[in-house]
Formats: sequence, structure tokens, C-alpha cells
Amino acid sequence: MNASVRIGARSLLAHRRRLFGTVLSIVLGVAFLTGTMVLGDTLRANFDTLFADANAGTDAVVRSARVLDAPDVPGGIRAPLDESLTERLRTAPGVSAAEPSVQGAGQLIGADGKPVGGQGPPTLAGNWIDDPKLNPYRLAEGRAPAAPGEAVVNRGAAKAGGLEVGDSTVLRTPDPVRITVVGIATFGADADGMGPSTFTALTLADAQAHLTPKGSGQVSTVRLRSDSLSQRQLVDEVQKLLPDGVEALTGADATAQSTADVSGRFLSLFTTLLLVFAGVALLVATFTIHNTFAIVTAQRTRENALLRALGASRRQVLGTTLGEALAIGVLASALGLLGGFGVAAGLKALFAAIGFTLPTGGTVVHAATVLLPLLTGTLVAAASALVPALRAARTAPLAALRDTAVDASAQGRSAAVRKAVGALVLLGGLPAVVVGATRGPSLALTVGGALALLAGTVVLGPVAAVLAVRVLGAPLPRLRGVTGALARRNAARNPGRTAATATALMVGVAVVTLFTVFGASVKATLDDTVSRSFAGDLAVTAPATGAGGSGVSPKLAPAVAALPEVGTAVGLGRGAARIDGHGARLGVADPVALARVTDLGRVDGSLADLGTDGLAVSRPEAEAHGWRLGSTVQLQFTDTTAAFTVRALYAGGGVAGDYLISRPAWEPHRVQDADTLVVVALRPGVTVDQGKAAIGRIAAAYGSPQVQTRAEYAESSASGVDTMLSVVYALLALAVLIALLGIANTLTLAVHERTRELGLLRAVGQTRAQLRAVVRWESVLVAAFGTTGGLLLGALLGWALTRASDGAGTGSFALPLGRLAVVALVGPAAGVLAGLRPAARAAKLDVLRAVAGG
Amino acid sequence: MTAAARVEEAVKEYGAGETRVRALDGVSVEFAAARFTAVMGPSGSGKSTLVHCAAGLDTLSGGRAWLGETELSGLGDRELTLLRRERIGFVFQAFNLLPTLTVRENITLPLDLGGAAPDREWLDALIDVVGLGDRLQHRPSQLSGGQQQRVAVARALAGRPAVVFADEPTGNLDSRSGGEVLGLLRSAVDTVRQSVVMVTHDPAAAAYADTVLFLADGRLVDTVQQPTAERVLDRMKALDGRRGKAAAR
Ligand SMILES: Nc1ncnc2c1ncn2[C@@H]1O[C@H](COP(=O)(O)OP(=O)(O)OP(=O)(O)O)[C@@H](O)[C@H]1O
Ligand SMILES: [Mg+2]
Repeated sequence: MNASVRIGARSLLAHRRRLFGTVLSIVLGVAFLTGTMVLGDTLRANFDTLFADANAGTDAVVRSARVLDAPDVPGGIRAPLDESLTERLRTAPGVSAAEPSVQGAGQLIGADGKPVGGQGPPTLAGNWIDDPKLNPYRLAEGRAPAAPGEAVVNRGAAKAGGLEVGDSTVLRTPDPVRITVVGIATFGADADGMGPSTFTALTLADAQAHLTPKGSGQVSTVRLRSDSLSQRQLVDEVQKLLPDGVEALTGADATAQSTADVSGRFLSLFTTLLLVFAGVALLVATFTIHNTFAIVTAQRTRENALLRALGASRRQVLGTTLGEALAIGVLASALGLLGGFGVAAGLKALFAAIGFTLPTGGTVVHAATVLLPLLTGTLVAAASALVPALRAARTAPLAALRDTAVDASAQGRSAAVRKAVGALVLLGGLPAVVVGATRGPSLALTVGGALALLAGTVVLGPVAAVLAVRVLGAPLPRLRGVTGALARRNAARNPGRTAATATALMVGVAVVTLFTVFGASVKATLDDTVSRSFAGDLAVTAPATGAGGSGVSPKLAPAVAALPEVGTAVGLGRGAARIDGHGARLGVADPVALARVTDLGRVDGSLADLGTDGLAVSRPEAEAHGWRLGSTVQLQFTDTTAAFTVRALYAGGGVAGDYLISRPAWEPHRVQDADTLVVVALRPGVTVDQGKAAIGRIAAAYGSPQVQTRAEYAESSASGVDTMLSVVYALLALAVLIALLGIANTLTLAVHERTRELGLLRAVGQTRAQLRAVVRWESVLVAAFGTTGGLLLGALLGWALTRASDGAGTGSFALPLGRLAVVALVGPAAGVLAGLRPAARAAKLDVLRAVAGG
Repeated sequence: MTAAARVEEAVKEYGAGETRVRALDGVSVEFAAARFTAVMGPSGSGKSTLVHCAAGLDTLSGGRAWLGETELSGLGDRELTLLRRERIGFVFQAFNLLPTLTVRENITLPLDLGGAAPDREWLDALIDVVGLGDRLQHRPSQLSGGQQQRVAVARALAGRPAVVFADEPTGNLDSRSGGEVLGLLRSAVDTVRQSVVMVTHDPAAAAYADTVLFLADGRLVDTVQQPTAERVLDRMKALDGRRGKAAAR
């Protein structure tokens, strides 16, 4: 065996306890990375096979070529087709069967009266397609809907809503439709549904009545199959018969598109998010590992010097140290890979716990999912060990004879260089962050500045460590006497080490703080939006996020307005159009009435004059496009493109959004009508409670949307932020855990290194308890340093990110002091925990052996 | 007779400015081949510095050093490393062995580093002489101090280097263990014509040598051939006296 390899392997075995923390850091980081990738692979593959299986019988799909990209609708919004097209296609050459398909949004109400799903994935409704080969759903129980009011629901929705065959419930389309469940269906052969989405199938006539704009004679798509032609041939054949603006595509292409809509949009976002957190965990691990190697190498200076004296070349010493790191990297990555499968299951459970159930199915692992984490873990280990290994290779042979391991990172010439470089980077980063956040604002500049800040902080760490330990530890000697003084001096005596240890925690805490501040600011912005612009007393909404939900029935607002308790009730509808090449949301309302119950700020022009070709635009949006009163704007709808004139400008950032058009203007272009919000102003003398009760009674007949006070409405619009934050905290917990492991590990190594010294202290009468306290307080000091740095950095970056991502300049910034105080307390408290094991080991020292041994 | 190693007008200075120390002050010394040379002198006289520089562990500030025909002054780190690996054996006062390797692996370490196959017969003979045949698989921490130094000597001899340098190899040992280590070095000189240079403070140890060089204040001040412990002691006293007088003056 090669000498370097053998020496590396031996020292690896001999020091395996010391390297435990390193291995664990890599295992955790790699496990998280693997878990994320396995979950992504599995979900993607499941979606793929699911769609392919469910749509296997469909050879071609005919649909409108006019499509609007809408932010919330996967695949965009398409214009409907004329139903008569189905008949013509049925008799086309080569076509064996043609079935109309109607698709829209419909939210089921469960047996408990609560909406089923709607928090992210779509809630779909449509018609039951009678030809089983063309229907992606299969009946698992009961029968197909045959009479008005009969419905089939997918098995997942039935389970979630506690619905069984024979049950009656309501489907919000958003007009409430009373339905009786006559059957339960699977998506494809045996999936509970199309991913986590819900689906309710009605008869064709019912579906047309509730989901198409005209109420009859329209369909969304026509599905075809052919026994004689290939998919391509069928499409070519059918294409000849289609009117302008209608397209045919093969079943395979249609499936690929729906898969891409799901995997492309939702899954990539989802896995990217998780990968970011895996990245944070690995970054923190890098600091921890680097530190361990730096310490272990320093402790091994004599051995390395001896090797050099005996004729080991620099490269051999470098190879030994790096080889050791690589071996650890490979081993730990392999363990992490195994752990990753557990993590994948855990992540799934985490998302299920917040009501976001991911589709089930066999675990799928691609080669890349095995290779990438293995490679990343190994590289992280090797890269972390590179600088210590280079330092080891530079060991002078004579170091074997001298007392070594003097840390000069806070003094001397290299410290001067370090200070200069760190200060430069910091001085470059800070203005970049501030300018990026305030002028522009420019997200790229801010992020660049943030990275520079982080780098500067890392470089300046040792210098800051001395200062921080002095300041943070100032009360210790008074509080804890000699024990406290020793702890403080120990924390300061290896500033480089203390800084590197604390940096890991600092990065973790900084990211936690950043998200906390950013989340609080988003909440404050939402809150502000409501309190600034919502002038009504009550709001009626059907809370939903993402592509879920179906909104509030447009018939509700007039019904509420008719109540004697109510002064004004205005429904705010949601329209969509492409403006200047981008999909945009339109507010659809009676603008004058809306102005009475919401605060649109200063209005230039006249809201009363919108008519059917007028547009009201928020001032920031108008400025961004260079529009003024009287400008003409082209609005591309699903059916036509129409010219609108800007007739009013109002303040932005409110509940009304950026564009407002009147109901008559939207009417000809509407797809499936729904209000997102009904704003209610009560008559004078009516209490909020009375009003709430009265509206609640009426709302029951419209699918029971929620009636909320202003405060409740503000609260519920921000509730998604809290859910998001809890997920982020859970994901960041890993990074923080790795950082704490790093502290524990460094201290254990330090205890090992100071064996003689500790023995001496014990010999002159220090009790075990005192010894434990010294180590524990040192741990607390390091954790406090990391936490403080992280809080400062995170708060600054949180502020910058909030400002930089707020292009319109209407957002708010909030510093959630309560939550940050919790972080500030938890950090040092976790330091106590991290110090437990090293303290126990220090206390176990045998006095004689410690003094005599070496 | 050619010298196994020599230095000429060797100067070694440590530090700079106020704290400058001149450890070697223009020494010229020859270490004869196939001979046992002892280097003696008061503490701080530059003995360690001399052998370090002669062995390529450190570089001179002035003057020149040769190992056989090779001049060390011109060599870079790579060449010096190879030189130490292949042509020099070294025994320190303590911490000679890698704690993680076995006794046998420690002995063959320089050979392994160069990827050279050890000469089995020589190795077996060496292990036999060192008398640690039954301890080959042990770790250094399981050996006594004397045994550890014997292993270190065996390692220094294993590659049949041009010169073995030893810096107070018996400094930490009692006289019996020390005697064993010195006996090993002596027999290497006698049986395989090994050149050995040894720093020591102990007149009894110096008596094992063929020649004793005396250093003081970084200079060569005296040489004794075929020493006995008494003669060395006398010479040391004489030198001390001279130094004392010099100091008094
Ligand atoms: N790395 C160093 N830096 C500064 N001065 C040094 C260094 N190494 C040695 N010296 C100085 O050089 C002089 C000679 O030291 P050297 O170690 O060679 O003495 P020595 O004769 O081996 O002493 P001893 O018998 O105590 O081992 C001493 O004054 C010593 O302080
Ligand atoms: Mg010496």
C-alpha cells in the first residue's frame, strides 16, 4: 500500500472520534440533498406515468389556440369551443370517437361543511366523459352522473372531504351547485387523483351551465380517438376540418404539456426551494468541516513535521490530509445517501402536516440523484479540507521540535492583510446592498452585495471574534468568577477557530433572521394594503391560495346589498387579459361603488366614465408603461383583442390591484365568472356583529364563503405567510443543528488539546463542576457571538431584500422584535446544549493521566 | 579520507534587528565517513542548529554545507526532501515515531515514502539487533522511552543513508537504555561503515564516538580523537573555565 494512503487511513482510524462531528455534518447535509432530489424524482416520475396512463386512450385533443397566460392557472386560460364542433369531428374520417370536455374551477364542500383542498393545487370541475377510453378518470365505485345534480368525485377528494356515494353536498363554481355523489373515481388505473388536485365531474349539461360563460353550447376541448390512424395521422386529418383559431394536437403532446405544466411550474419551484435549503445546510456544514480539519491538522503539526523531516514531500503530506478528507467525504456521503430516503419520507410528512399532500407512489431514483449528492458531499469535504491541507503541507520539518499551534489569525502580518481584505469586501458589499435596496431597486445588486457582506464577515471573523468575546463575555468574570474568566479567555485565545465555529451558526441564524424579517414585512405589507385601502366594515371571501379555490359567487354581492343592514356591497371580480405582452389580472367591479368601500387614494380622471371601453390603472403601473389619461391600451382577451382608453388613475398597492374595468366591459370576454372579494359597508347604526350575522345567513345559500371583519380579513390574507415561515423554519432547523454540532465538535477538540492544562487545573483544586462550567460558558460565548452576528447580518439583509423586491415602493418593512428576541435567546441556550458533551468529557479527565500524558 | 558531510564558514542567524541571534558564527566542520562523531558544547552553543543545517532540515544564512558531493545551499524544498528521504537518517530527542503506525511501519516509513522496497535481509538483521522482534505490531505508545528510541535508530538506519544525525538521542533515557541506543549506533559504524553524527551533553555517551567536536557560541572550539569519558569531562571543564575567565574579563 502507498505510504501516504496508509498514513491517512491510520490517522483516520485513530482520530475517528474527533471526526465524528465532521461525518455527521456531511451525513446530514447530503441526506437532506438526497431527500430533496429523491422526492423531486419520485414526484416527477409519478406525475409523468400518471398522466401518461390516464390519457393513454386519447389520440388527439382539439382546443382553442387562443390562450392567456394567467399567473394562477397552470397552462393558462383558453377560450371555449363551440359544441357543434364535436358532432362534425365525430363523423370525420378516421375518428372512432369524439367526446366534448368541459373544464373549470369548482370547490367541493366536505361533509364537515369545510372546503376540500384549495391551498395550492387546483380544485377542478368538469363533465364526466362517457367513453371510458377518452376519460382520464375511471369509476372505482358507483356510477356515472346521468341526471342533473349528480356528480362523480375523485377518490382523494372523497377521502379528504369525508364524502361517500349517496352523500349530498355543495360544489362552488362559485355559484353553489347542490350535488349528489353517485360515483367515486380514480385518476388513471388507481391514483387517488391528478396529484393533490380535486375533481368533480357533472353531466355535460350541468358542467356547461356552471362552468362555461354562456351556460350552454360551449366546451373546453374535444377529445378524439382513432382505431385506424396513428396520433399524427389523426391530427393531420382533423386539422383540415378545424375553423380558424382552433388547433389539434396529439394525445402524447397534450399529455406532455399537462405534465410540464405540473412538473415545470410546481415541481421545479418546489424542488428548487428545497435545494436552496439543502445548499444552506451544506454551506454551514462546510464551515464546520473546515474548522474540524483546521484543528485536527494543527494538532497534528508535529506528526506532519516529522513526516517532512523523514523525507515526505509536500505533496505527500497534502495527499495524506486531502485523502483523509476525501475518504470521510465518500463514507459520510454514502451514509447520507441512505439517510436521504428517510429524509424524503420526512419531507413528505412535513408537507402533509401543513395540508399539502403530495402524490404517493413508488420511490424513484435517477442516477443523478445518487451521483450528485455523493459528489457534492465529497467535494464539500475535500474543499473544506483544502486550506488546512495546504497549511499542513507547508509545515516546516523543524516544527516537530518546537511548541506549535500558535494561532496568529488575529495578529501579525497575515492579520493585517486579513483586516484589509475583509474591510474592503465589507466596504464594497455594504453600499451595494444599501444602494441595491433603495435606488432602483435592484435585486441583483442587493444579492451581490449580500454575498460580499457574507464573505467580508467571514474574513473579518477572527478580528470580530476577539472583540465580540470581550464585549459579550464582559459580565462573565463578575457573574461566575474564575470560571467565567477562564471561559472568556479560552474563547478568545484561538480567534480564528472561534470565528469559524461561530460563522457556521451565524450563517444559519442570518438565514433564519432574514426569512423572519422578510416574512414579517410581507405580512405588514398585506396588513397595510388592507388597512390602507379597505374602507368597508366586512369582507366576504373564499380563502384559497395558488391555483386552488373557485372564488365567491358574483350573485352574492347584489344579494348582500339588498339586506337592510347593508349600505353598500361591492363584488370585486377577477378578469384576465394580456397587456403589453404579459398576462395581467384585471379587477372587475362597479368602479364607483368600489371607490366608496375601498380607498383608491387620489383619483385622476373619472371612475364613473369607464363604460365598456375604459380602463382605470394604478398610478405606478401607468408610470411603468408610460400611460396617461387618454392613452389607448390593447387588452388581449381569450376571444378578441380590444382597445381600451385609460380614463382614471388611482393609487396603487390596494385591494383593487393594478387594473380596473367595469362589469359590462368584462362581460363579453369572461370565462368562468367569480368574485374574489365582496366588500361590505354597513348602514350607520348597524354593529359589525349584526351585519356579520345577517350576511352569514345569506352567504349560506351561496356556498358559505367566509364573512370576516376587516381585522380578520387582514389576518387571513397574511396566514399563508405564517405557514410558509413554519416550513422555512423546519427546513432551516437542519442548518442550525449542523452549526451547533460544529460548536460541540470544536469544543471537544479543544478539550482534547488542552488535556494537560485541564489536568493541571484539576490538580490545583478545580472541581469537576467548575471545569464543566468553563467549557459550557465557552460554548455559550461562541454561540452568543454567532447568534449576534447572524441577527445583525440577517436583519440587514432582510431589510435589503424587502426593499429590493418591492419594485412599486408600496411595501412595508417590519422588524418582528418578539421573534428576533426568541432567536437571540435560543442561540446561546443552544450553546449550553452544544457544550454538554465536551463539558462532560472534560470533567471525566483523570487528573494524573492528564498531567503526565501527552 | 573524504567527509560524509561538512560545512564551511557556516552562519545561521535567527530573528531580525534587536532580537537577532547568531546561532552559528562561521563554523567549518567535517564529519568523517564511516566514523562516529559526537558534537558537544554548552546549552545554546548551536549544536542542534549545526546538525539541522547539515541534515537539510534547515537552511544556512551564510556559508556552505555539503552532503558528500552534494551542496545543500542551492537545493530547493523538493530536492532537500528527497535528500532527507534517501540519504539522511535522523533521530530526535523525543517524538520520533508516528503514533498511528506500528513499530514495523515506523521503521520502514522513509522507504515507504519513496516507494522503495526495503532490503529484507538488512531489515531483519536490524530488527534482530534492535531486539524488538516481538513488538513489531505494537504502537509506539505501548513501548518504553528506550524502546521507542531504539525503533527510531532502526528507522534511521533502515534506508542505509549516507549519514545518520542524532540530536541528543539518549537525552531522555536512563544510562542502561541510553547504552543500548548508543551501542546500536556504534555497531552500525563498525559493521556496515555507517557515518553517524550525534549531539550529546553526556561525556559517557561521547565516549562511544571516534571524534568529539566542541562548540561554543556558534564556533568550533576544540576536537578530541578517540575520547574516553574522563578525557571529555576534563576538556569540558577546561572549556568552561576558559569561558568563565572570558566572562570575568
Ligand atoms: N527558531 C529559533 N529562533 C530563534 N532563535 C533560535 C531558534 N532556534 C535556536 N535559536 C537560538 O540559537 C542558539 C543556538 O540554539 P541551538 O538549539 O542550536 O542550541 P543547542 O546547542 O542545541 O542547545 P541545547 O544544548 O540546549 O539543545 C540559541 O541561542 C537559541 O536560542
Ligand atoms: Mg539542542
